[in-house]
Amino acid sequence: MVKRLMSLSKKIKYRLMKDVGAPGIMRFLGMGKKRPPRKKSPSLGPPLTCNRSLKELMAMHYLLSRYAQGAMPVAWVTSGAPVEILRPFDFYTFYPENHGALCGAQKMGPELCAEAEEHGYHQDLCSYARIDLGHYFSGKTPVGRLPKPDLLFASNNICQTVVYWYKALAEYWKIPLILFDTPYNFGEINEVDISYMVHQFKEMIPLLEQISKRRFRYKRFQEIVGLAKEASLTWGEVLSTMKVRPSPMTIFDAFMHLAPIVSLRGLLAALEHYRALLAELKDRVAHGVGAIKNERWRLMWDNIAIWYKMRDFSNLFAERSMNFVTATYTNAWTETIGYLDEAKPFESMAKAYSLVILNNNLNHRLQLMERLIQEFQVDGLVIHSARSCKPYSVGQYDLKKLITERLGIPTVVIEADITDSRAYSEEQAMVRLEAFFETLEG
Amino acid sequence: MTELYPPSRIEYLLRQREVYGRHLFGVFPAQYPREILCAMNILPVEIWDPPLDTSHADAHLQPYICSIVKLGLELIIQGKGGILDGFLFPHTCDSIQNLSSIVNDYLKPGKPCYFFYYPKWPYRESSRHFYIDQIKSLAVRLGEQFGALDYPRFKQYVEKGQKVASVMRELYSLRARGGLNASNVEFYRTVRQGEFLHPDDLIPLLEKFLAESQGTPRNDTSVILSGVLPNPPEILALLDELKIRVGDDDLLACGRRYLVPPSQSQDPFEALAERYFQMPPCTTRNSPIRERLEDLINKIEGSNARGVIFCMIKFCEPELFDLPHLIEGLKKKGLPILVVEVEPNQGLTGQLTTRIEAFGEMIR
Repeated sequence: MVKRLMSLSKKIKYRLMKDVGAPGIMRFLGMGKKRPPRKKSPSLGPPLTCNRSLKELMAMHYLLSRYAQGAMPVAWVTSGAPVEILRPFDFYTFYPENHGALCGAQKMGPELCAEAEEHGYHQDLCSYARIDLGHYFSGKTPVGRLPKPDLLFASNNICQTVVYWYKALAEYWKIPLILFDTPYNFGEINEVDISYMVHQFKEMIPLLEQISKRRFRYKRFQEIVGLAKEASLTWGEVLSTMKVRPSPMTIFDAFMHLAPIVSLRGLLAALEHYRALLAELKDRVAHGVGAIKNERWRLMWDNIAIWYKMRDFSNLFAERSMNFVTATYTNAWTETIGYLDEAKPFESMAKAYSLVILNNNLNHRLQLMERLIQEFQVDGLVIHSARSCKPYSVGQYDLKKLITERLGIPTVVIEADITDSRAYSEEQAMVRLEAFFETLEG
Repeated sequence: MTELYPPSRIEYLLRQREVYGRHLFGVFPAQYPREILCAMNILPVEIWDPPLDTSHADAHLQPYICSIVKLGLELIIQGKGGILDGFLFPHTCDSIQNLSSIVNDYLKPGKPCYFFYYPKWPYRESSRHFYIDQIKSLAVRLGEQFGALDYPRFKQYVEKGQKVASVMRELYSLRARGGLNASNVEFYRTVRQGEFLHPDDLIPLLEKFLAESQGTPRNDTSVILSGVLPNPPEILALLDELKIRVGDDDLLACGRRYLVPPSQSQDPFEALAERYFQMPPCTTRNSPIRERLEDLINKIEGSNARGVIFCMIKFCEPELFDLPHLIEGLKKKGLPILVVEVEPNQGLTGQLTTRIEAFGEMIR
């Protein structure tokens, strides 16, 4: 009885925060004293107005997560996992990789990684994982507090690392871990693989019912699949606006605006955000407004962002009249989403989630990159060799060679890490970039 | 005991081809249905730690990739695998996954490359179906080049595999009890012959080794070895010198693959599935860490070990992620632990030698 009352009180508290408290706080913060604007390169165009709504949306998501605990089941989810299966059970979903990126952008990576290292996690391990484990040991986070999960939900379609990492969390928290195991596509996907994945979805449902104490609602599930598809397609349209010269946004904007499709996929809020962003970008295109003032060269980015260098790189490239107009990373949340089909949600999700770039062979990646280079009229390629991400990075040296040979565009590899700046050498990166700039400007 | 072993790996392999018409396949670590290959007259030759310098592989792989992956690629680039008729890449980790694609899609070695995916923990009914489907699918794909799988022959090889496992269990058990009169170097040299010997040669070799090594129980101090490989071999020699017996191991290349209980199934596909799901816990199958810890503790108790040595290959993510939990769990039991970072073929530094000697002194 006491337990029920507590749960009811938490539900009311959450609902009040969602409908009244959090929007009020957002308004209050919006009205309050503004931080002085950060120094921006004069080479950059006007910032997107949707940046503000993005900040509010994500701040609200993090704020509400604190009240979700106890009010609803909470799941920590890997960025590539088929979250649609969780939504009918009303899980509040939290994305440690998104949190890791946020810590990286706020330059907290080394501090949090060091916390994990003190507990025996080697510096060679993925820094998203070390940040997350560092948070577990220290409670440190730039967002105040993270909700304790009831469930860990992972898919190895992006890497095996997330499973090793979530296994460790499951051990610390003594909570269940559900894995969506996606066979790697060494060749073409086949019926055996699809049937295995569909079978897994069906096996998950009773487990999710048990953990969430809610029944599975198939119709609701179909609606969510539909919403996820629409949001991802809209995200794809957002990215496609960068095909125009001058591009209305840069890949650094896209890295930021990626957050809702990763963290809020299957929710109406994500779709609404991308509709607003798309409208703004179309308006920019109609008025010839570019993200940088003098776009002379158009570039492609390969791999996850170097989160702690976003601003520096944004300014550096803009000052050289270079604009990143496409990236394999941002494209990953729209590339396979066309497979989603509300009429066949399990089968279509199996395809959409197992055919993603990192679960596919390198030939597929080469073809994808060639297509993007052509479609976005790319003049040069910057490859981030990310120490944290082996499935993204192993093969990049050969990709670089092949793209240079086949397309004749300048390419450069920067050795760095996604969030741990201790693995980045400014001098070494600049030497390589200067050589790249010279070739491009040739 | 030297007459037990073939004079050299290469001579043995050439003979396999010339005398028995066997196809030779380079197989990357770690889990795969060996019996399917043997039944199709393909001899798996595992590629773990070829003694090569990785200068060519460094042009394809970043400095933060482990040396097992680099050595395997080096072998292909240098053409040292010239006698091989194809390659098999099991889905062991992210690096081997991408290596398979570098080789197949970019380097194109002019030999067929096959991939084998196995289901990852947590296991469910779907995992079992999928594993059997995967073995059958591998047989079909190999069959396109090497002829269809002969069922009775396959069954025979599964029985031979069971025999290998049975002798391995006996060897490990005898060693754990201190009744094996062989050095650490000799033990692992013998066990690792399983990486390339045909079962018809491996079984008598293991049986002979077992018969010749049964002796009076040894009272040496015992330790458990954990990691990927019992490398560099100098570690084993040093432990022998220090009179420390490896009482049992939790090595990916050895105990984690060989120590499987006998299968009850009459169907060879079912028997292989049974074996896969009953293998000792392993990082490459995503086994839960608590199961690994329990398994280690059982090994410690079963071999009266006084400590655990973790031989960590640099940049090996699957192993490194489990390590903090395992250390914490073993420390709670009051067990001494030594963690050493090693490269398969780079010998022991003076510092490492001193650390192992100090550890030996401590646990004695």
